[in-house]
Amino acid sequence: MKANVIRAIAAKDLRESAGSSQVLAPVIIVPLVFVVLYPVGLLVGLRYMSSADVRAFFEKIPVDLVPAISGLSTQGKAAYVATAFLFSAFFLIIPTMMATILAANSFAGEKERHTLEGMLYTPVSDTELVVGKILSAVVPSVAFSWVCFVIYTIIVNVLANPFVGRQFFPTPNWWVLMLLVVPTVSVFVTACVVWVSARVATYQSANSIAGFVVLPIVLLVLGQVNGLMLLGPALFAVVGVVLGALDVLLMRWIVKTFDRERVVSSFL
Amino acid sequence: MNGEAAIEVVGLARSFGETPALTSVDLVLESGGVFGLLGPNGAGKTTTVRVLTGVLRPDSAQTVRVLGYDVPGDIEHIRPSVGVQTDTALYERLTALDNLTFFGALYGMPKADALRRAGELLTRFGLADRAAEKVGTYSKGMRQKVLIARALIANPDLVFLDEPTAGLDPEAAHELMTYVRDLSRERGKTFFITSHRLEEMESVCTKVGVLADGRVVAQGSPTQVAREIVPEIRVRVAPAPGAQLDLEALGALAGVVRVRQDDGSAIIEVLARDAIPTLVRQIAAMPADLLAVAEEPPTLEEAYLRLMSTNEKHAEEVDAA
Ligand SMILES: Nc1ncnc2c1ncn2[C@@H]1O[C@H](COP(=O)(O)OP(=O)(O)O)[C@@H](O)[C@H]1O
Ligand SMILES: [Mg+2]
Repeated sequence: MKANVIRAIAAKDLRESAGSSQVLAPVIIVPLVFVVLYPVGLLVGLRYMSSADVRAFFEKIPVDLVPAISGLSTQGKAAYVATAFLFSAFFLIIPTMMATILAANSFAGEKERHTLEGMLYTPVSDTELVVGKILSAVVPSVAFSWVCFVIYTIIVNVLANPFVGRQFFPTPNWWVLMLLVVPTVSVFVTACVVWVSARVATYQSANSIAGFVVLPIVLLVLGQVNGLMLLGPALFAVVGVVLGALDVLLMRWIVKTFDRERVVSSFL
Repeated sequence: MNGEAAIEVVGLARSFGETPALTSVDLVLESGGVFGLLGPNGAGKTTTVRVLTGVLRPDSAQTVRVLGYDVPGDIEHIRPSVGVQTDTALYERLTALDNLTFFGALYGMPKADALRRAGELLTRFGLADRAAEKVGTYSKGMRQKVLIARALIANPDLVFLDEPTAGLDPEAAHELMTYVRDLSRERGKTFFITSHRLEEMESVCTKVGVLADGRVVAQGSPTQVAREIVPEIRVRVAPAPGAQLDLEALGALAGVVRVRQDDGSAIIEVLARDAIPTLVRQIAAMPADLLAVAEEPPTLEEAYLRLMSTNEKHAEEVDAA
């Protein structure tokens, strides 16, 4: 496994998709709506909502499990719970979405455009090819999630601090989320899409299968992320590590079952 | 490697589902020449290239050896020394230079080497001034040249070119084939070229093989193969302008099997080469003024076309039975 070959594969994909606005536009615009519009809307809206409305809003959330907010006003509790917990799911949806589109484009898309076959004749090993392709989707997804995180952190600090009465964000949970869980989830999603891509003929079908099969499963898991964060950063980190181990197993298995013949012959 | 066969194939078979693509291919290819694998569309040329380059598995084979290594078992030893162009595509959104240096990187070339080599190849193919443009803006012929340059980027010992002249105008095709011949002569590289366009192959290939019915039905130098398939000995008699040949008198001469007209000349088929000297003397004594009397060797194209039509007839007979 040669690092510079892997880097070349990932860098080539990046350069290619950077030149393609159809691929990148939805991947960048939709997340920005998530991380800007929703939090700003909620935090500005809080100023004009009655305490009763606000209480109804976080009724179902076990606020007692969050000792940091016991002394806060209703508005303060809402601002804290929403920004530190509820919106965290966005930050898993962003890399999931982006990794799905990029991986389908780079693998199934290359197959469809008949460019993948050329690579199969070169000395590139299966591992280098699979890891390079996975990184080419994971690196931009994680990087973009971090950019969103920076923007979100600024918004939260400007708009939520007045309700909470102090600087509280990012909480330790969020460091675990951004540094451990976002990368491991990105790898997991990408690996799934690469697996599908190696077995279907077109970008469209890879995207559809990923969209209808992989995404719902992942989103279902993501829905639990708030609950996991309530367990505290240490346990949340354990979840991230387990996911990382799963990633390694999944990638090994993909490399093991990777078959150049299946890629060149659309008949299977 | 020198002296050893670059490619050695015995009894290679491969089918796709129920369709047999290759039934039993035998092939020996010395290193350092230009080999042309000829055959109509669907004959199995691309399948052969893919098996030899280890991306398709053979169903069965006694021997498949490339550069002295077994395929597909030892394919990782072979790939660094092999360049391949098939009907694959380039990255449209990248420049020609980026397309080439990317492949250089896949072959493990240092960036600077890949850049220098890509520059040389693009210059050689007359694309230097467009090297920094996206391939999406290129014509079919230019893309084809870049694909071939890509196969050559890592300075391979063995180069597979699958229908390299497809889509090129005759001039570009000739230029390309001349380049291939020069490379094989100057650098001792081995080329394995598939084509169904015969004219270009005859002048460049040191050896050809004809693929039909999933087998290599003839192989050898272009002249050998042509002679093997078209065994008749023929003499062309070209009359001077205005002169009239007496075809009947020609047909009556000793040793003549038949006479036919071709482009104003007469083509005389004779029983044996020994008969020619006497024949030439007799023809010269005839009243018509002549420009030339010369033996007419068979061309590869003629041999190929004959082979294809006999194969078709054979297939029809099999179907009918
Ligand atoms: N991936 C494939 N799936 C099914 N049939 C195939 C495939 N590749 C080739 N074939 C069949 O095998 C035969 C030989 O094809 P090919 O090697 O591409 O011929 P050529 O390159 O000489 O035109 C054809 O009948 C073709 O339809
Ligand atoms: Mg072909």
